[in-house]
Amino acid sequence: MSWLHDEKRELWIGWWTLVVFYNLYGLLFFVITRTQPPPDPSLDPTEVVRWFAERRHGLIYGYAIVFIVGGATAIMNAMLAYSIRRMSVSRAFAYSYLVIYALATLPGMLIMGVACTVGAMRPERDPALMSWIYDFAFLSFEGTMGVFLIGSLVWMIAVLLDENGVFPKWFGYLNLCNALTEVVVAPAWIFKSGAFAWNGAIAWWLNMGVFVTYTAVFLTLLRRLILREDFGTGPLP
Amino acid sequence: MNVRPETARHVPGQPDMWAFVLFEGLVFTAYFTVYVFSRARSPELFLQSQAHLDLRVGVFNTLVLLASSWSMACCVQAAREHADRAATTNAYLTMLFGVVFLVSKLREWAVAIEHGFTLTTGEFSSFYYFLTGIHFLHLLIGFVALAIAARQLRSPAARSQEVVETCATYWHTIDFLWVLIFALLYVMR
Repeated sequence: MSWLHDEKRELWIGWWTLVVFYNLYGLLFFVITRTQPPPDPSLDPTEVVRWFAERRHGLIYGYAIVFIVGGATAIMNAMLAYSIRRMSVSRAFAYSYLVIYALATLPGMLIMGVACTVGAMRPERDPALMSWIYDFAFLSFEGTMGVFLIGSLVWMIAVLLDENGVFPKWFGYLNLCNALTEVVVAPAWIFKSGAFAWNGAIAWWLNMGVFVTYTAVFLTLLRRLILREDFGTGPLP
Repeated sequence: MNVRPETARHVPGQPDMWAFVLFEGLVFTAYFTVYVFSRARSPELFLQSQAHLDLRVGVFNTLVLLASSWSMACCVQAAREHADRAATTNAYLTMLFGVVFLVSKLREWAVAIEHGFTLTTGEFSSFYYFLTGIHFLHLLIGFVALAIAARQLRSPAARSQEVVETCATYWHTIDFLWVLIFALLYVMR
């Protein structure tokens, strides 16, 4: 149990929470609930009812787990804000990042979970209503990726202004890439088919590709930050 | 001041910005690939929609951005030679070309929408507004880069040549991406 006496134990707990959460997130959304990759936005009400029926148990149990592990986002956000606090920039960056990402948990995870559970729990509901729930679930999830835009820009500016070298500058620019690809999801509100629909090549597949790359990069950089961290005798941030 | 040995081989500006150029290049390549595949599925429809675009406006916008890249290159060259006045003038000239491009692009969109050519008119129009729109956004960020470069040039004592070149790299990237967008949307038949 030597890790209990490791002065970096809290940081490792935060980092492993990130790793476990993202893996679990992928498993829950892609395998158990089967809500990702997103289904066809142009399904008619009868097809929507069938869609809910086909994955009823996956949706109910899968999202139950999502609701339970959802609290882990607080630890994750704290870990990311911690990295900003190690930088030679104002505390305002870390605070605004925390607030934005705390709020982003709603459209980024919870609203879709609630809507899909509502749909799955009452399969006998009017198909028109089920269709409304289906639209609400996926538009609230896929169409609101823009909420991550400001968070990415906050992190970008912090990294570029930082003089402590907490993260390399190219990661600051990668934040800009990520922010700019979050914008391309916006047309999903208008289109029901093609590259810009919520399951489209540009609005979903490309955005997801960039997001996965970005996530893998910041997990690696955070790990390096913890390995490098030397608390010395100075005060913690 | 950031000083590097003259003999050492290096890319202009921060190497980190080149990582951005590479990554954005990959992202835009993906956009272009999707566009080309969509076009190959219904070439006739794309050709009909393409007729809504005025090639002369596209050429004008391209020339304006190429001119802006030229003035930015002159700015970097002048900054390297410590010709501060010429460098600052060229930075502002680049901004001016950028503004001309923005105004021209906004006017082009307004005229197209007035003629009923909107985001939802057809698949080609969707790509047209998407590609030019995302480029427009990159250009707006480019003004921030130009402002940073101009600020650096105003105080020669504290200037970082590397930062000026990094901003220039970003601006040239926008120009390069526009040339590709112009070729795909306006020229490719």
